[in-house]
Amino acid sequence: MKEFELFVGPQHVGVTGNMMYHLWVDGDTVVKAETHVGYLHRGFEKLMERRSWLMNVALIPRICVPEPDVNEAVYAMAVESLMDWEIPERAKYIRAMVLELARLSAHLLAISGYAGTIGLYTIPQWLIGDRDYILDLFEQLTGARVYHIYIFPGGVRWDLPNGFLRKLEKVLNYLESRFKLYDDLLFQNKIFFDRAPDVGVIPKEKAIEWGVTGPNLRACGYAYDVRKVDPYAAYPDLDFEIPHYPKFGDFEVLGHGCDCYSRMVVRRLEMEQSIRILRQIIKKIPDGPHTLKLPNPLAWKVPAGYAYARVESSKGEYGYLVISDGGKMPYRVHVRGPSYTHGINVIEKIAPGLNIADFAQTAFSLDVCPPDIER
Amino acid sequence: MTPENPNPLPSIIPEKDWKKIQRMLSKRSLWMVHFCTGCGAMEMPPTMTSRYDMERFGIIPMATPRQADLLLVTGYVAVKTLKRIVRVYEQMQDPKYVIAFGSCPINGGIYWDSYNTIKRLDKYIPVDMYIAGCMPRPEAIMDAFLKLMKDIDEGRADGWLRYKKYYEKYKANQRRVFKRWDE
Amino acid sequence: MNAVGIFKELGIEYEEMKVKGNKDPRYRAKVDPEKLEDIILKFKNNGFRHFVALSCVDWIKEGNMELIYHLFSYDNLEDVFLSIYLPRDQPKYKSLRHLFPQIETYEREIHEMFGVEFEGNDRLGEFILEDWEDMPPMRKDFDTEKYAKEKYGSVPLVEEGGEKE
Repeated sequence: MKEFELFVGPQHVGVTGNMMYHLWVDGDTVVKAETHVGYLHRGFEKLMERRSWLMNVALIPRICVPEPDVNEAVYAMAVESLMDWEIPERAKYIRAMVLELARLSAHLLAISGYAGTIGLYTIPQWLIGDRDYILDLFEQLTGARVYHIYIFPGGVRWDLPNGFLRKLEKVLNYLESRFKLYDDLLFQNKIFFDRAPDVGVIPKEKAIEWGVTGPNLRACGYAYDVRKVDPYAAYPDLDFEIPHYPKFGDFEVLGHGCDCYSRMVVRRLEMEQSIRILRQIIKKIPDGPHTLKLPNPLAWKVPAGYAYARVESSKGEYGYLVISDGGKMPYRVHVRGPSYTHGINVIEKIAPGLNIADFAQTAFSLDVCPPDIER
Repeated sequence: MTPENPNPLPSIIPEKDWKKIQRMLSKRSLWMVHFCTGCGAMEMPPTMTSRYDMERFGIIPMATPRQADLLLVTGYVAVKTLKRIVRVYEQMQDPKYVIAFGSCPINGGIYWDSYNTIKRLDKYIPVDMYIAGCMPRPEAIMDAFLKLMKDIDEGRADGWLRYKKYYEKYKANQRRVFKRWDE
Repeated sequence: MNAVGIFKELGIEYEEMKVKGNKDPRYRAKVDPEKLEDIILKFKNNGFRHFVALSCVDWIKEGNMELIYHLFSYDNLEDVFLSIYLPRDQPKYKSLRHLFPQIETYEREIHEMFGVEFEGNDRLGEFILEDWEDMPPMRKDFDTEKYAKEKYGSVPLVEEGGEKE
């Protein structure tokens, strides 16, 4: 049998952003896959070494475009570790709120992208339309729709505007009322039931060793979440569950886990948990200052040392290793993006055996975000 | 508009109106290549879908460059992407238009000192419209679309003609940043 | 066994990193490049099954390249950073991709960005950059601003105001 080469991307509707999968196919079956990245490389880690500690806050949200806030939060936490700053309680709650809103919007985008790959084009119309309500909240809070530059070392840049929490509550109620429609449209859809289970399976016993994190790991049956195993911000005070295979509540458990079906259902259930967390934040958010009293931002003396901070992004574990030599700029920053393993190592291993038609849905169900691979 | 498109009914349509009709038709059906070259692509889904709905202007995403009229360069252009952008641009049929998105293709933006992003896009391919901002809001994108339509109507969007006229110069510039073209 | 226990058993000096924000402890240790593989295996067999990242730091003043192997344990909830130092002018190390498959990707990136050679990894080569002819860009002596000005700033503008139809 003769093998054919197929290039999926970079200009292709079946890739999550600007990246390329090089497939060798035999008939309709993928025999081998290779990921090619670098189309979005800007050299962030180099640029960060050339900018002061505070200037970097404006640069880093651009590393992960669908969910920029995790970068700000994780960089701020790493700098706070080096500076030995304890941020005020209110800032912790606001950070958790921003991160949960970002997770909601990233999941809405991920689910709509996934639905597009199995031919359900109504879902992007609805979900991305609903996502705009969250972006409007961000706009009210930070002044920008996508790159917020709101969380920074020492707290958050300003306090919540008047009436923000009331508006947040309204948006949450609206989103919750929409979940039933999403279920009718996608999660109870025959096409989804027929196509997603047992497709793109990551071997369960290999999942941790391969570096799978986030919803993709929880779809394999591990209840690991950075918000629980290495808690940060206000998460230790908040009550929430970690949806994982096979605890799908009202959803049917189809397939044997680790597949596209479980990954998407986990994302859907996480949105419910995010709303639960946000409701608690609205109730529990304490009064007080939103930021520390900061020294002159042009001359921060960050003590020499190593610091690693991690958060749970919508895609998995997101971490920064920040190294300072005591200077005005970071000596080295290493960004650990969750897509680094999902997009290259995992997909190259699970692609053989897939149909060409299932390859796109597998790539989308892993929620690969190319800019955090190559940075 | 193009010499290859002669007036099919010279007895009915006067020669001076034929160009007008062509422009009017081409501005109302701009199809856009589905190519997320950079982070500005993040604002494309809201622009495409229910809230802003660019389809009401006749703009829809198209999977293949051969059937598209409009190339959106959404954000910074890495060297590796530039090669693909030129490939896509050259595959598109005339007349074709380019909109550059955000601050980065104008002067490098926040990546002014990055070793891997080209700073000015119009050194390598002709650009018909720039949208400033990081990142441009959907309203700005829609505004750019409307302005581009007006430019097409008035015959100002002539990037594809400039590319033909200065082809050698554009090629020479492209060759300066990427060495191997055939891979 | 937790990280402190393993360090004590192997007789490795470690230090605790400062943590604010997250809760789990992080330990950092400098180890002998010869013994690194065994040490990582020891950690892997004791619950440190999540390989978080492999980072590289260019210490230009000291003339070193530091490779940081970062492991996490879901059982003990601890982070371990194992550092090895290589000479900066000819950094060379063996590939450890058989321990954790994603090390392969990190090695490809570090090879391209820092010029570290990994013996036994056959996928080293062009990964993120394309047509790159200068020194590896993440090295400290590479001046990105100068490079950008020379390479992109020198490209001439194509004559503007082209032809009207």
